[in-house]
Amino acid sequence: MEISSLSLRARAVVEGFMSGLHRSPRTGFSTEFTEYRQYSPGDDVRFLDWKVMARTDREFIKKFEDETNLRCTFMVDFSKSMEFGGDDAGVKKSDYGRTFAASLAWFLTQQRDAVGLATFDRDLREFIPPRYRQDQLKTILGRLETQPAGNATDLCQALEKLASLVGKRGMIVLVSDFLSPLDEMERCLSLFTAAGHDVRAVQVLHPREVDFSFEDAAIFEDMESGRNLILDPGTAREAYQQKYNAHNAALDAIFSAQGIPGFRVTTTEPLERVLQRFLEERPARAVVRQRRSNARNAA
Amino acid sequence: MSFLTPFYLLGALALAIPIILHLLHDRPKNKQEFGSLMFLDKTKPPVDRKRRPSHLLLLLLRCLALLLLAFVFARPFVTVDDPADAAQRDRQWITVLLDRSASMQRGDLWEQAKAKVQATLDQLGPGDRFSLIAFDDSTEPLAEVKSWLGSRSEAEVNVPLERLAKPGFGGSNLGQALVLAGESIEGDEPVADELGADEQPLARREIIVISDLQKGSRLGDVQGYEWPTGIKVTLEQIGEDDQGNAGIEQVASRVPWATAEAAPSFRISNSANGIGDELEFLAHTATGETLSQTVHVPPGRSRVVELPGEWARKSVDRLAIRGDVAEFDNQFHFAQNRQQTVHIVYIGQDKPNDAEGSLFYLASAFQQSTTLDFQVEAVSGKSSGPLPEADLYVIGDTVDDPLAQALGQAIEDGATALMVVQSPGQAANLGQWLGVDGVVIRDIASRDYALLESLKLDHPVLAVFRDARFSDFTNLHFWKHRELQNLPDEGIDVLARFDSGPPAWLAARRGDGRLLVMTSGWTPADSQLALSTKFIPLLYSVLQPVLERKTQSRQFVVGSKVNVTRFNNGQAGGSVTVMPPGGGAEAVSVDTFFMPPAPGMYTAKGSGWSETFAVNLTAAESRTEPIVMDQFKKLGLPLTDSVASPGEITTVAATAEKTEAHRREYWQWALAAVLLFVTLETVLAARGSRPAEPVMIT
Repeated sequence: MEISSLSLRARAVVEGFMSGLHRSPRTGFSTEFTEYRQYSPGDDVRFLDWKVMARTDREFIKKFEDETNLRCTFMVDFSKSMEFGGDDAGVKKSDYGRTFAASLAWFLTQQRDAVGLATFDRDLREFIPPRYRQDQLKTILGRLETQPAGNATDLCQALEKLASLVGKRGMIVLVSDFLSPLDEMERCLSLFTAAGHDVRAVQVLHPREVDFSFEDAAIFEDMESGRNLILDPGTAREAYQQKYNAHNAALDAIFSAQGIPGFRVTTTEPLERVLQRFLEERPARAVVRQRRSNARNAA
Repeated sequence: MSFLTPFYLLGALALAIPIILHLLHDRPKNKQEFGSLMFLDKTKPPVDRKRRPSHLLLLLLRCLALLLLAFVFARPFVTVDDPADAAQRDRQWITVLLDRSASMQRGDLWEQAKAKVQATLDQLGPGDRFSLIAFDDSTEPLAEVKSWLGSRSEAEVNVPLERLAKPGFGGSNLGQALVLAGESIEGDEPVADELGADEQPLARREIIVISDLQKGSRLGDVQGYEWPTGIKVTLEQIGEDDQGNAGIEQVASRVPWATAEAAPSFRISNSANGIGDELEFLAHTATGETLSQTVHVPPGRSRVVELPGEWARKSVDRLAIRGDVAEFDNQFHFAQNRQQTVHIVYIGQDKPNDAEGSLFYLASAFQQSTTLDFQVEAVSGKSSGPLPEADLYVIGDTVDDPLAQALGQAIEDGATALMVVQSPGQAANLGQWLGVDGVVIRDIASRDYALLESLKLDHPVLAVFRDARFSDFTNLHFWKHRELQNLPDEGIDVLARFDSGPPAWLAARRGDGRLLVMTSGWTPADSQLALSTKFIPLLYSVLQPVLERKTQSRQFVVGSKVNVTRFNNGQAGGSVTVMPPGGGAEAVSVDTFFMPPAPGMYTAKGSGWSETFAVNLTAAESRTEPIVMDQFKKLGLPLTDSVASPGEITTVAATAEKTEAHRREYWQWALAAVLLFVTLETVLAARGSRPAEPVMIT
């Protein structure tokens, strides 16, 4: 993370990643014909199959499964808790997460896919609908450059709002530390999974959040609420890790139930590898369909 | 050790400051931002074992410095007794007034009082002067030590003190005792020249009053007494926790001319701090019977109870109340008065039943009562028989010579005669008795009535009318009166004049007796006097000296003078023996006055007669609630805590200087210690402070 500019950082990541991608059998996304439908007045005449009309003298509308390329919306956590790290504590979670989102956006733009961005803290802050345009990537990178300022995280509320804004099915990439209560999480995620979106979650954590490797007693300040707690890390570590593990287990259970692939990464992990892991993951919907067919067989 | 300014010791509370600061110091200083505290619980602050010892030392030093600073400001000192100075100390003159009145019999007051005397003795030093005076109604010096010599002098004082095993039964005349003590100090002050070479002057003169200071104490003598300068009075009150007391006394008998004699009445009073309002009124008869009735007297009030008729008939000799805390004054000895005979001789021609004559009204005025038996005898002025002996002679007509001479002699010998001038013929008698010649009596012929004026109300005969309620004589009309001419200028008091000028009532002292002259009679033909309200009081007033001489009350209080010659109708005759109460006591032979020392029933015996009289405590002794201290201040008593005179201020200043010299103060040392501790603290703190350790991050 020596490169300060996000666009340069993303480009460096993607180029390193692309060099290894040539050996991959994956060929990318394409449109696929599904069926003909009889023309009814009001249909767009552009989609008439002129050749069939000329041949049979009947008007048919040609229908495709995916009318556009992939629509990917990044949902990036801009709360203050993502600011942890930096200085002597290594890379900030927010830097890592934003670089990840920027890299993937760069990559998808290269693939001529539509890319959008939603930022949130306690609510949905900004939403750039997914588009494929020349300046879309620039806009997204510009938004990602701004500093997180939210005093709380409420992923659920942001998801509810986004669900009303994102119309067409596509890919939703959630980038957050997911360090907030999980009470409503499953319901809110189901808004997307039920609508057929391919939801993927990237949980960005700092190594110190994983192992709580502080040594000296200090006044611990919550970066979002500002609450203070005098702590002796040696004494508090065990309880912390128990609660932390329980939280992550609960989160994993939610992701698993919703068929969402979850990626837990620490800021020390190389980004290219994370990107590769991400792209190698099978589409989420397949998993859901698989689960549904399993359930049908069992019945 | 004492402190000059002890309030500065409160500054020691500042010790809390370093302790709080040190506690704060144990809190971690470094702040660590963290993404979310949702997985963290509060833990105990860690103990930094390496820094603890140096912190404790600093804390100790800081606390000590503050403590010493408070100590320095409080200015501690120790007074050192210098034996050389003790020899040169000022001499003092202590006069102790010890109350031995009856009220001191309550509880253990007497023991407390004696202990206080003993405590005063313990404070005396060599060379001091000491006087012990006991007082009740009177004062009695018990001991006097001119130069205190320690235990030898103490033994000297203790002998009379031991002799006073119990307080007396007298009243309490504190005022008299105070004045006496003040005068004895003032009168006996040694002159500087008379002092020995190594004898110090008496620097301090103090009167210590050891008393219950009960409200019944008499303080009248102190009023107006000018206290000599330099005398201080200390009131050592005992028995401040008085729980109230009830007392009984006989209500003063009614005026002697009250014809319907009522039963004796008794006033039962309950002090304001009394605990209850229900008292039992008891009567013990001579036969040993006890009668009782309940009397409700609220605290602070009194109630007059008449002796019930059936009790009176049973010859009650002792009354009592029951139901209060103090018992000493609950008995009341009661001797019923014996009837005294009073002889009155009327010289005139009147018939006893003639409503137009003087005798009829005279006999009617002197009605028999339980205490007085009037024997009115009428004698003709022309009688040649001997003059009957009488307490009062009333002359209403001309008296012929043998009788007139006898009468004149009787007056000279002490008899009282009242002459009513009704005819000019009486002039010779009047001249004879007054010892002058040429007295003329002239009838005043006037159509109008005469009134009295220029009444000499301060004369004993008219003193009974001195009260403004009784001094109006304008309703008294005189139809006829006479004028006396050629009266001597001296030896005659004109008690009243008629409004036309001539004297109406005259009084003349002849030898041991008295002659009173009225120039107008009391018969309806002469005036309205006999029918007016003035008549009976006037006659009794004329008779009063006789009654006083003859009759004797049979109720006395302890310490009062009992005139034994008045017993037996004023004819005690020679020496009288008084038998004190309680059969075993020794009889006392008395010539004139006897002062009963204790309450009880006494018997006076003469040749052929014997009379019983009762002696009780002074009613004032029952008022045991303490005197309000303000009263002493109002009386100008130089109390110990009052403002000192300029001379005393000088003495006090000299004493203060002396005390100053004996004082060893230690604040300088404490201040030095403070500075030392502060220096040490600075060094330790400087050594202990080091840059904050960086937060270790891996």
